[in-house]
Amino acid sequence: MKPIGSSLIAWLSLLVMLLLVSGCGPEHRFIKGVSFKGENQITITFAGPVEETWAKNPANYKVYEKPDPDITLPISSISLSPDRTTATLAFRLPLNRGQAHIMSVKEIMAEGKSQGTAVLTVKKVYFGYLLSILLGAMIIKNFVFTKYLGLCVFFGTSQKKTTAVGMGITFTIVMVASAMMSWFMYQFVLKPMRLDFLQIVVFIGLVSLSVQAVDTILRKVNPALFKAFGVYLVLVIANCIILAVPLLLANNEYNAAESFMLALGAGVGFLVALFLMSSVRERLEVADVPPTYRGLPIAFITAGLFALAFMGFSGMSIF
Amino acid sequence: MALSKKTNSQLFFNGILAENPIFRLALSMCPAVGISTSVMNGILLGVAVLFVQVFSSCTISAIKNHIHPRIRIPTYTLTIATWVTVIDLVLAAYVPEAYKAMGIFVKLIVAFAIITMRLEMFAAKNPIVSSFWDAVGMGLGFLFGMVTLGFIRELLGSGTLLGYDIIGSRPLLFFVLPAAGFFTVGFMMAIFNTVELFFKRMKEKK
Amino acid sequence: MNQIIRITLGLTLSCLVAGSVMGGAFILTAKAKKHNEHMAVQDTMISLLGYGKKNPAPSDLHLYQLYRYVIDEGGNKFLGYMVPVKQGESMRYGLLIITLEGAFKAFHELEITPEGALEPAERDSALRAVLKPPTAFGFADQTIIAKLEGRRLAYLLPGEFQGFKTFIKIMLAMDPSFKVLGLEVLEHEEDPGLGGDIERDYFENQFANKSFEKLKGLNVIKEPLPDEYRKYLEGKTGGLTKEEIDKIRETYRDQDIYALTGATISSQAVTDGVKGMARRFAYRIEVLDKVVASRNLPVAF
Repeated sequence: MKPIGSSLIAWLSLLVMLLLVSGCGPEHRFIKGVSFKGENQITITFAGPVEETWAKNPANYKVYEKPDPDITLPISSISLSPDRTTATLAFRLPLNRGQAHIMSVKEIMAEGKSQGTAVLTVKKVYFGYLLSILLGAMIIKNFVFTKYLGLCVFFGTSQKKTTAVGMGITFTIVMVASAMMSWFMYQFVLKPMRLDFLQIVVFIGLVSLSVQAVDTILRKVNPALFKAFGVYLVLVIANCIILAVPLLLANNEYNAAESFMLALGAGVGFLVALFLMSSVRERLEVADVPPTYRGLPIAFITAGLFALAFMGFSGMSIF
Repeated sequence: MALSKKTNSQLFFNGILAENPIFRLALSMCPAVGISTSVMNGILLGVAVLFVQVFSSCTISAIKNHIHPRIRIPTYTLTIATWVTVIDLVLAAYVPEAYKAMGIFVKLIVAFAIITMRLEMFAAKNPIVSSFWDAVGMGLGFLFGMVTLGFIRELLGSGTLLGYDIIGSRPLLFFVLPAAGFFTVGFMMAIFNTVELFFKRMKEKK
Repeated sequence: MNQIIRITLGLTLSCLVAGSVMGGAFILTAKAKKHNEHMAVQDTMISLLGYGKKNPAPSDLHLYQLYRYVIDEGGNKFLGYMVPVKQGESMRYGLLIITLEGAFKAFHELEITPEGALEPAERDSALRAVLKPPTAFGFADQTIIAKLEGRRLAYLLPGEFQGFKTFIKIMLAMDPSFKVLGLEVLEHEEDPGLGGDIERDYFENQFANKSFEKLKGLNVIKEPLPDEYRKYLEGKTGGLTKEEIDKIRETYRDQDIYALTGATISSQAVTDGVKGMARRFAYRIEVLDKVVASRNLPVAF
């Protein structure tokens, strides 16, 4: 468990760092950063103090939402920080922060001369978007409690904590592997050749392939691990989630990073759901349940209570 | 399992009551919980599953002597996936409104354990006619289950049936909420258990 | 070895058979699918204009489709409108390019029929013929202008925006003064029973008859919907006289939108989406009309 865990963490952190590096850094040398503030403001941070008359003139700024370049958003007022390095533009109407905005700053006057014109993109941090997909798949749109997928396997393996955790981990590994392969096949084979209708067959084929691959690799690389988790591999195919995730990422046209986040979130979310359920079910085994409710009926009702609880997360958006 | 000794009509009723996929075998529960919010959804998905079940069973039963044992699972999966794609395309083309209400559940039919298991346990070893009736029984059992759930949830939750206002207001909005799917299925299972227990006790008394 | 060959052959054969079955089903259903989709959109548009089975649309009602594209020529952006132009008795399409400031830039004739223009792929290839690389273009949105007896009857705007959960697709109908004629929620993924009620009459019909001024500042009030207003919205005005119905309409005409119980965010999302769509469209159609008039282009609308 330890070697796989730690190498997984290492890869994840590398990915995170790459994303951070690629996502940040505005496109002009005199501008340090630009971001949304509050409901209707954008702040620009310059690399040095700028001339006040230039900074407070709305004609030097042109802001529009990325898909609507012909509609310039009207600026109601501009304020400058005392050290003249941060300008805050306030707009007449609330900004749609979910949409990327383009701002062009004309002829920045600082240090006695023009520093050139800058065209900047104002949007929420991309990494935040990725994290929101991850958290969404894990908790807000948990595949078991909010989307009602993977239930057969869910009820079958949630009787004991050990089986639950085993199933969850196996599932996450196969999920990520098959989701990435499905994304690849979709982007480079199915879409260009207009074979969209073959989605179902191709995806389920890739799932079987992943299961087979993980099975073989695990058998050779770590027999002890295989003995612990091998039996759950077969059940992965019967899990609706394993097919739902590729269908979703094809439908939403996610890119590679977003697909990875979705798959990881789905797997971990399934693990969390299984763990919660098994904790309750272990207790139910020794509780006094009426005979006709024993076993599945009471498990369903428990799941219903969990689903109600998870409904509380509905609509949450952190980034 | 050896060749089934049941008659065709016994197979048919077996699928609906004794071995009802949703309430007794506890399989294919994802749609039972997820989209049983109305009778219409239940009917449509039930019909889709019936179609896939029947066609897959008949196909596998027809070619059962040519399937190499080592690739039987991929063969079943391929057959099911083919028929699911066909019904998916047909539904998307001819009933687009209702199809959108079902989301991705039509495509997910391919992952239903019930169909693969039925192929493995029955169609691969029995002649076409018995497989046909078994499939029809199972499919109708699923349809019956979905329609019952949909009936309860739609009537109690929206006060309508098939879109027609029956009660005029919403008695218990809760039942239309997704979480109620779990509760309804749980209660229905308990009811089926009670009925079974009742019949068992009746038999023992005799 | 023999076994493996047999297995491989068997698998390949099954795959080919399966593939042809699916391919056949695809080809057969694709045409029906497109046709049904087109008819559904047509029906929605006709009903928004106030016509239907009981009140069939007159024969001289024409619907003209306009497609807006954003063109990127070496870093400079322009708006490209694919507009129907009259060419004698028939109708062809042309591309009208306007600068971001609203000035005329260019006009190109396009090799595409009105039926072909319904297909995104055909529009792209027609545009590609006149906009050579490295010029890039992307589809922005579509507008339908309804004309009756030669005058503009209504604007129909399909649009999509962020809802509470994911997206909401609507079609908005406005008259030439940008007063709302009607709203139809086409697609959404809101919770059934809660946010899903945005497609019910008693929510959609609240937007009807709102003037453009009211629409620009439209808000959502978190109060229960008054009974008499609800009956009016759902068309259940059986026992009321015409004066009473008119009175209800007048009382609530300049009212804000009553939010759905338990779904205030969905209600706000729809209101904001409609506001944004209407405002942007009103600005753009004025610019377009000015350019068309200044160049005397023989457009069909």
